[in-house]
Amino acid sequence: MPTIEFDDVTKVYGEDTVALDEISLRVSEGEFVILLGPSGAGKSTMLRVLNGLTDPTEGSVGVGGAEISENDSDVGMVFQEHYLIESKSAFGNALTGALSRNGLLRSAIGLHSEGDKLTALEALRTVGLLDEASQRAESMSGGQKQRVGIARALVQEPEILLADEPVASLDPKAAREVMRYLKKAATEQDLTAVTSLHQVNIAREFGDRFLGIRDGQVIFDGDADDLTMEQMDRIYYGSEATGDSLTTDPTGTDAVPSGTPDPSVTADGGDEA
Amino acid sequence: MSSGPDAAGQAVKEKLRALRRLRRLQYLLWVAILGVVVGVTYWGLGFIGFQAGVVAGRFPAMYEFISQGFFPPDFQNFTVYTKENEITGLQAIPASFRDWGAPIFESFRSERLSLVKASLVTLLLGFMGTVIAFPFALVLGVLGSERVTPFPFNFLFRGTLSAIRAIPAIVWIFLYIPIGPPSQITAVLAIGTDSIGNLGRLFTDDLEEIDEGPIEAIRSTGASGTQTVSFGMLSQVSRSFIAWTLYILEINTRIAISLGVVGAGGLGLMIRNSQDLFQFQRTAAGLIMVFVVVLGIELISSRIRARLRPGEHDSKGVVEAVRDLADGSKWLGISTKR
Repeated sequence: MPTIEFDDVTKVYGEDTVALDEISLRVSEGEFVILLGPSGAGKSTMLRVLNGLTDPTEGSVGVGGAEISENDSDVGMVFQEHYLIESKSAFGNALTGALSRNGLLRSAIGLHSEGDKLTALEALRTVGLLDEASQRAESMSGGQKQRVGIARALVQEPEILLADEPVASLDPKAAREVMRYLKKAATEQDLTAVTSLHQVNIAREFGDRFLGIRDGQVIFDGDADDLTMEQMDRIYYGSEATGDSLTTDPTGTDAVPSGTPDPSVTADGGDEA
Repeated sequence: MSSGPDAAGQAVKEKLRALRRLRRLQYLLWVAILGVVVGVTYWGLGFIGFQAGVVAGRFPAMYEFISQGFFPPDFQNFTVYTKENEITGLQAIPASFRDWGAPIFESFRSERLSLVKASLVTLLLGFMGTVIAFPFALVLGVLGSERVTPFPFNFLFRGTLSAIRAIPAIVWIFLYIPIGPPSQITAVLAIGTDSIGNLGRLFTDDLEEIDEGPIEAIRSTGASGTQTVSFGMLSQVSRSFIAWTLYILEINTRIAISLGVVGAGGLGLMIRNSQDLFQFQRTAAGLIMVFVVVLGIELISSRIRARLRPGEHDSKGVVEAVRDLADGSKWLGISTKR
């Protein structure tokens, strides 16, 4: 059963800037989808349309069988720049995810329900920050802040989890760690996840399914094995760069260490052996 | 072939000439601005009949007035106790601290005027005026921001704030005459009204500068409009709002003194009374009290504000800020290396 449905979705900014060009696709429950593509290809717009921050010009977007509404709390979002309230603690930031379940007055005077507080702490535990719950966001590292951002999205108790370049401003080590927690969160809570990423090698480690976006269209849809060098070139540099890449013998796959295992996992396996 | 590098060199030289022309133009502009400032000042002095020679000629008289009239300062009005026992000069201060400062507390309760009570009144006028203004400034300031109220309508609130702000507190106190003559009661109202304008405008400007990111993040959680304002916007500026309020408190303490001169009580009133009676040594004592009160508030407020500024001192809360007040070296800006 698909949780995300795009039907002929077109998004035009201003007069003639086509960000999405008649995109139709289905994402099944529990899939971890990664969007690849050059800057300005339409990845961010896809995510913004998915969480209702932007309305499509044409076509319809459905989440969990229902048409997406503005600022839907069923959709959790992790942003490139964490976007936390710097002066609040990790716990306070995570709790803002529960706002849609609370009246303003209750939340304004800090009266969150016991259930929401437990959910927030549980979410912080999921991202490995239970001990840092009372630490202020401004004193945390970039990776930690991003993990709080994931926790905040989890507290919404969403059906799908979106992430827009969640690790673009992090160093490779922190980036892997954040992706690991994102994947863990999605797996533990059976969430469908859609993430846009620039780091192709990191994408290969974590994605179940990859969508190549170029000029507002989906030009690639497959798993890590299908994602050959030729396909990468086609997504990032266009078809003219590699010529008729679709018909090229996909022996190039061997050159790419597809589905590169996580180094830490390998190390663990070695210990057990 | 050889024309390539030559052409490039020509382009660089041309750019250099263009930059030089621009530089000369900027220089001329500054000279013109300076000329206008000096010209208007010179013309203005003539316009108001300011004659530098005459003013300079009065300086010896001014010196005599202060050196002989003001010294030594007479603190006889420091407390009711020193007033009754006619303890004059600087001795009045230590005398007021006998019995663990009993004369001071007695003066607070007394109906009669004293410098310590006037100082308390001045502090309270500034404080209460700020407290009264805060909720109004918060509501009008938030509604005046374009982030909260869509464009043409936010000017309704901005305009209100600007109108309030245009009228100074010393005029407000006379506008409140139907309520009563200039007194401590109307002074609180005047300071409060004036502060709504000042504080509200600072709040509005602050809100215009906040990051869009956290607002979008809160909105995307499915939060309502008011929740987005409260959590996405206000929580970003809460500390700076507190800092601005403390800054306005500093200013209000000074305004309370100037309102005192027109009859609103406190230190201002005592200074004017002593001047009217030509008791300039008592005026001097009043001025010293002004100095102590204003500087005291300013030091406390500026220290707390420094702690509240984000980035400068990571994750220092109000509690730490208050605790730091006990650290003497911080007052003087001496850094203590740990």
